[in-house]
Amino acid sequence: MNISRRDLFHLAAIAGFSLTAEDAFAKLNNLNPEKLFEFKPVGNITLLHICDLHAHLKPLYWREPSNLISAKELVGTPGFLCGQTFMDYYKIKPKSMRAYFDTYITFEELAKKYGKMGGVAYIKTLINQIKAERGSDKVLFMDAGDTWQGTAVGLFTKAKAIVEAQNALGVDIMVGHWEYTYGKDRVLELVNKHLKAEFISQNVADDIWGDLIFKPYTIRDVGGTKVAVIGNSFPYTPIANPKEFTEGWTFGIQIERLQKFVKEVRNKGADIVVLLSHDGFTVDQAVAKMVNGIDVILSGHTHDPAPSPVVVNNTIIVISGSHGKYLGRLDLEVKNKKITNFAFKLYPVASNFIKPDKEVENLVNKLYEPYEKELSQVIGKTQTTLYKRDTFYSTFDRVIMEAIKEEADCEIVFNSGYRWGTTLLSGDDITVDDVYSMTAITYPDVYKFEMTGSQMKNILEDIADNVFNSNPLYQQGGDMSRALGLEYEIRINGEPGKRLSNIKVNGKDLDPNRNYVVAAWGGNMHRAGKNIKKLRPVYDITIDYIKRVKVVNPPQRSNVKIVDYPCGCPDNTGGC
Amino acid sequence: MDRRTFLKTAAVTTAGISLSGVVYGGFAAELIDNPSPKKSYTDALKEITQDKSVKDSDKVKLVAPEIAENGAVVPITVEVELPVEQVKAIHVLTEKNHNARTMSIYFTPANGKAYLSTRVRLAETMNVVAVAELADGSFIKAQKLVKVTVGGCG
Repeated sequence: MNISRRDLFHLAAIAGFSLTAEDAFAKLNNLNPEKLFEFKPVGNITLLHICDLHAHLKPLYWREPSNLISAKELVGTPGFLCGQTFMDYYKIKPKSMRAYFDTYITFEELAKKYGKMGGVAYIKTLINQIKAERGSDKVLFMDAGDTWQGTAVGLFTKAKAIVEAQNALGVDIMVGHWEYTYGKDRVLELVNKHLKAEFISQNVADDIWGDLIFKPYTIRDVGGTKVAVIGNSFPYTPIANPKEFTEGWTFGIQIERLQKFVKEVRNKGADIVVLLSHDGFTVDQAVAKMVNGIDVILSGHTHDPAPSPVVVNNTIIVISGSHGKYLGRLDLEVKNKKITNFAFKLYPVASNFIKPDKEVENLVNKLYEPYEKELSQVIGKTQTTLYKRDTFYSTFDRVIMEAIKEEADCEIVFNSGYRWGTTLLSGDDITVDDVYSMTAITYPDVYKFEMTGSQMKNILEDIADNVFNSNPLYQQGGDMSRALGLEYEIRINGEPGKRLSNIKVNGKDLDPNRNYVVAAWGGNMHRAGKNIKKLRPVYDITIDYIKRVKVVNPPQRSNVKIVDYPCGCPDNTGGC
Repeated sequence: MDRRTFLKTAAVTTAGISLSGVVYGGFAAELIDNPSPKKSYTDALKEITQDKSVKDSDKVKLVAPEIAENGAVVPITVEVELPVEQVKAIHVLTEKNHNARTMSIYFTPANGKAYLSTRVRLAETMNVVAVAELADGSFIKAQKLVKVTVGGCG
């Protein structure tokens, strides 16, 4: 597509004007030779799906991972595809808008061509259009969670701003994960008083009595079809995030209970059974093998943009990316309590091609208004792409760790391998809002502590097993913790506890008996340390650092060498 | 298990631990006499089965988390899907604990079904093994790997 950025804006404006017309999608497709908005409706109902919005109400750049390393049994399977392997698997043309949305390849070039992604006002336009075409009674809109956390506006309003956006979008049903890090009282307050959607979960229970905290499922009449939706919140919430937020509540995958509820909703006359899940894409593929009778899983957590569903044990599994980049649409033909036909599409929320919904745009501006001045403040510039996603290393995390190292005066810095954040292009200004998009959590404090070499190795081995276990049920769905001041080699398929070798601290072999001075945030690592000191919140430290250095240019080279795969990424942003 | 079931069972068994059988008394006495008995999984299994073979069976339903939220109190349930008359006992073993013989619960027909629900302590990542001792003197089992982790997202 040979049009300049300016042309695109011009065309987008035209697209906007025509979007109220009946054939709005057709007109969008005329502007877009890839026909990314084309969809032939199938059957009698439509399930709309978003996941892992991470509180991004406005469009952003989001670069997909440059590698997604896994145990050998999982290499090349959906959930562990990225870059060229992703393009080959899903037959995506190089340099197309799809390639831009789904991979890191030539990201900067395509970002300039196609513009920012996501934004709730743009998602709303697509939803309105689909509902107008289909009849809103035939549409059920579900949100698989990780919606409330990830930006300043989410954090500052204790998620209230995001709930208002969900209400405006018309979310019908949701589940959660990072939602719980606002604390269980706040979750219940938002769910009971503000959220219009139903919050369901069959796997959140009182840890003494086993009583469920939320409704486990809901049965909705969708255009005459009885759709049962069972919820699964993130099974490892109290392990991956601080326990105190959910004290007294227990999670887990709860396979046996899930099977019981599938039977129960069938007995109540459900035509189809949907699992709305924050388990993660690979875990849900395993769940589908273990539980019978689920027709559809709308997954989340692992942020995969999967253009086509995976079908396992007669269960259709879809996942719709992250950060508001996509709207998933699954059309179903249901006859005699069976799905007889289906069609799926991930609509790319290409903000330059979609006219934003005025009402929702106004709402977003209103929600930002009290913080706009602070958040839009430019604090520096980047000379290279600042990204988050990679198995071991990321340039934006590197900047954050440099900031912490200066502040803490320590030997090693650790930074969690979360999969949310933002992306900045080389030459971009860095704003306060951008820093929050990488760090906006309810437990932002940086800790400085001491820990022996062997303790540190054990913790890294433990985290590596959560990322690289060959059984998806034992994975937590994040990437490996990032480290500054530490280099190591890793055998991905090594025995648990024995994957890491040749560990060096600032160039010298790790001494298992020596105490090291370490700083970390966002994890549980400090709890194992001694002489623990609480420093300032990570966003304050990072903002002050960028203000001081003015320009950042983190190296593209990872500090981790993979021994058992011929993969040198992310040298020069990738290559797996 | 919901509150009502708990209160019902607790009334007929020991409070604080909910199960439909009774705790093997000798085992508790042994703990008092010898506070820190080291017993390997192999030794514990031998003590229970007297070297008889133990077959894996889907009649033994062991429910435990994949990853423990707190290794000190890992909730498990075991149910043997056979008439209670055919089940003499359920033995729970924790493969890598200092003492791998965690509990033995003996059943009578008055228990209604061969079911127990409790919490076990796991010192590290290990298999939890539920061995059912049947009335005919044979043994069947199920096991599940429970990971004990320091956590941290990714």
